[in-house]
Amino acid sequence: MLAEMFSELKSFEELARSFAAHELAVRRDEHDRYPFGPFFDEVVEKAFGIGLFGITMPEESGGVGQGMHALCVMLDQISQVDASLAGIVFTNAMAQEVLCAAGRKDIVRDILTSATDARGALVAFTSFCNPSETMPAAEAQKTADGYLLSGSIEHAVLGSLSSRALIPASIRGQQGYSFFLIDLSDQWVVRSEPVFTLGLHACPAVDLRLSKAPGVCIGAEGEGPQYFSQAADRMHVAAAAMECGIMKGSFREAFAYSTERFQGGWEIVNWSSLRMMLADMAVQVQIADMVLDRAASAVDLQGQDWGLCSRAAALHVGELACTLTTDGIQVLGGNGYMKDYGQEKRFRDAKQVQCLLGMVPLRKLAFMGELMQT
Amino acid sequence: MISSQECASLLGREPRFDDCMCSLQALAHLPKGVLSETKKAIAYARRFNDEVVRPRALDLDRLTHADPGYLPWDLVEKANEWGFYTMFIPRVFGGQGINMPASSYVIEELSSACVGIANVAFVHYLGVAGILASWNFPLANRIFREVAEGQKTGRPCLISLAITEPGAGTDVEEVELLDRARLGCHARRVKGGYIVNGSKIFISMGHVSTWCCLIAYTDLKRPSENTVSLAVRTGTKGFSFGKHEDKMGQRVCPASELIFEDCFIPDENVLCDTSELTWKTTRTIPQLVEQYIQYAVEVTRPGVCAFATGVARGAFEDALRFASDTVVNGEKLINQEWVQARLAEMYRNVVTGRLAYAEANYANSLPGGIYHILQFKPLYYYLKYVPQAVLDRFVTPLFGLDIVKKLLVRLYVDGQSMEDQRRCSGWASLAKFTGTDIGMKNCQIALEIMGQAGIRHERGTEKRLRDAKLLQIYEGTNELNRINLFATLIGRSIPGVRVFEEGEQGGRHVG
Repeated sequence: MLAEMFSELKSFEELARSFAAHELAVRRDEHDRYPFGPFFDEVVEKAFGIGLFGITMPEESGGVGQGMHALCVMLDQISQVDASLAGIVFTNAMAQEVLCAAGRKDIVRDILTSATDARGALVAFTSFCNPSETMPAAEAQKTADGYLLSGSIEHAVLGSLSSRALIPASIRGQQGYSFFLIDLSDQWVVRSEPVFTLGLHACPAVDLRLSKAPGVCIGAEGEGPQYFSQAADRMHVAAAAMECGIMKGSFREAFAYSTERFQGGWEIVNWSSLRMMLADMAVQVQIADMVLDRAASAVDLQGQDWGLCSRAAALHVGELACTLTTDGIQVLGGNGYMKDYGQEKRFRDAKQVQCLLGMVPLRKLAFMGELMQT
Repeated sequence: MISSQECASLLGREPRFDDCMCSLQALAHLPKGVLSETKKAIAYARRFNDEVVRPRALDLDRLTHADPGYLPWDLVEKANEWGFYTMFIPRVFGGQGINMPASSYVIEELSSACVGIANVAFVHYLGVAGILASWNFPLANRIFREVAEGQKTGRPCLISLAITEPGAGTDVEEVELLDRARLGCHARRVKGGYIVNGSKIFISMGHVSTWCCLIAYTDLKRPSENTVSLAVRTGTKGFSFGKHEDKMGQRVCPASELIFEDCFIPDENVLCDTSELTWKTTRTIPQLVEQYIQYAVEVTRPGVCAFATGVARGAFEDALRFASDTVVNGEKLINQEWVQARLAEMYRNVVTGRLAYAEANYANSLPGGIYHILQFKPLYYYLKYVPQAVLDRFVTPLFGLDIVKKLLVRLYVDGQSMEDQRRCSGWASLAKFTGTDIGMKNCQIALEIMGQAGIRHERGTEKRLRDAKLLQIYEGTNELNRINLFATLIGRSIPGVRVFEEGEQGGRHVG
């Protein structure tokens, strides 16, 4: 829908659709085997080649210079086939948004313009949590030359791929937290094996153990929550776009199956209770698409309450996606539960994507808190 | 106050007293020994969880991802060593003879730790139920004795139940749909037995079972009148295993493809040929097939509810632990009201699931249910306390007598009214979809409370969600079970109501 309303987005939609069809669809199961199978480096390289790791960054910073609309269109298309790559794009974009919010576009530019491959362009980030909620377990000590970070960082997404990570840490003796850019190849940083998770298997995370690892403070000390909030307000809608794509993929698969599978002498689509389930799914897809459209517009136009629109979209579409993908398996019965079809992966991915940028209930409470303030 | 005639009339109105107060009716007749036996079984399951299940569950799940061809031989040996495969087989067949409804409570315990391992221990009882429901006690005795022997020797002997086919899942669970199903497992009558061709899929524990209770059809065009159940031993010529499914969850419990190619099954291994039972009963063959299916699923569906209740409980325990240990926004989660409300909802769900399977089991303890006769006090205590040697020498051989076979068929077939059986069937379906829906719900709430922590494998909660989804699918999808509940306990009071008739097909009058 987004691309239909904004014709300039058509080319991005087509690019992402074609990329997903050619690079992701055929070997989806194989990619999902990670960390027990090989990582899809080749695909990630190609994604880097078509500019997926700098869509919302200005052209002068080495990016594509598009807004949230373009990012959403592409995440939607990719997630219809395999949300893992979308998770990589999302995490990297979130790190870039935090850097920009902290006034460090120069770092983004340096990274994007100097990167010769995907790993060089990516920045690891703790994209499944809002650091304010549980407070970082890493602590930064101020020295004459900068900062030395110690402690642990849980679930740094892309940490096994990237050479650098943007991580939250509290500065000793101060309230709140700040963001630091650290070099993951540093000897003072120990990366765990990739963390095995519910979904997005090919969007890997690692835990980090820091022992006085040098770090560069990003922006002002103690301003981490503000930078996170600014970036997250923009990126929530991108999470909604991933969910929307997963929903479309799940519905499409369920619908196709229902016209081919027989039960009681008829294609199962002819049984009204199953058709009702499909109808619910179809309605949910339409609603998700409309919500996504409205929210992405609000973010790009910076209209009134654009941040709330973005957050509401992620919360609502996330819930829809979890419901829909559950039914998406159910329509296929036992087959939906097997890895031969994409439904079980979509179910897992939807739940995992819902966890992006913090715990759902706390995001709801924060949403209400903001409404009360305004 | 009220005459007995009026009382009966008023209680016979919908909702009928007999159908909605199962526990109240059943408890009055329940032998007291059932309680102490059940408590011991639960305690034993808790010990098994501590010593076997919890230390292994996550590592094994991870192993199945690294090696999708993994088969749980080590776990099967453990479960065998602990006696789970004979625990609920009647003593008269060489088992331990613990009352069968207690299996639900044990299943809940094991599933609260790992529903995959719970299946490794208990899917075997699907096969046991399939064999018991066949009314062929001499053959049941032979197979169950082998299971008991397997426990003594340390060489596990498990039974799988093979119904689902590549082209028919839901259809084979309901006699009304059977004749419209795309079936392919054909049993041809030949001298001295049957020759089977076809395949079965999604057969839990197929690869590691010694016996398979196979449902096949002598006429694929009229399967409802031509259903046979056969006991097939692994290793029989013409019987082989195909692929081992790559499932989302419950990965430690394999789902197998079974292939039959000109597989000869001798008469001595025929559990039941419904067309040959007609001389002993007033039921039509489709009614017998329905009765056969219902006897099996009225036991297994509350069992699935118990699996799901265990999952719901495990998810609740995960969330409770996380909330107790985690500080968010400067306050322990457990002290935040929204979390307390969510935990209360999860606790309610667990209790609801438990009540549902318990009530379904009580329905099975009433006339029409498979436990009704087994829980007849004199019989229960006789089977419980008479020395095993006496049972083996004097009671078991009686099953070979024709008159005893006739008596058992009278008791279990003609002796049960279809109306009573439908109560059991309805409750089993209600329990199945109630429990499995709340199992999923609790996993989702737990993940919601836990956020990032919940999606990590080492926490175990994401595994519960993956495991739970299958419960809404097997033993008849929840959609089928909803329609079965309607057919058995709701639609009957509305004149002209039919079920399973959409799509210009036949269907059944229920009203």
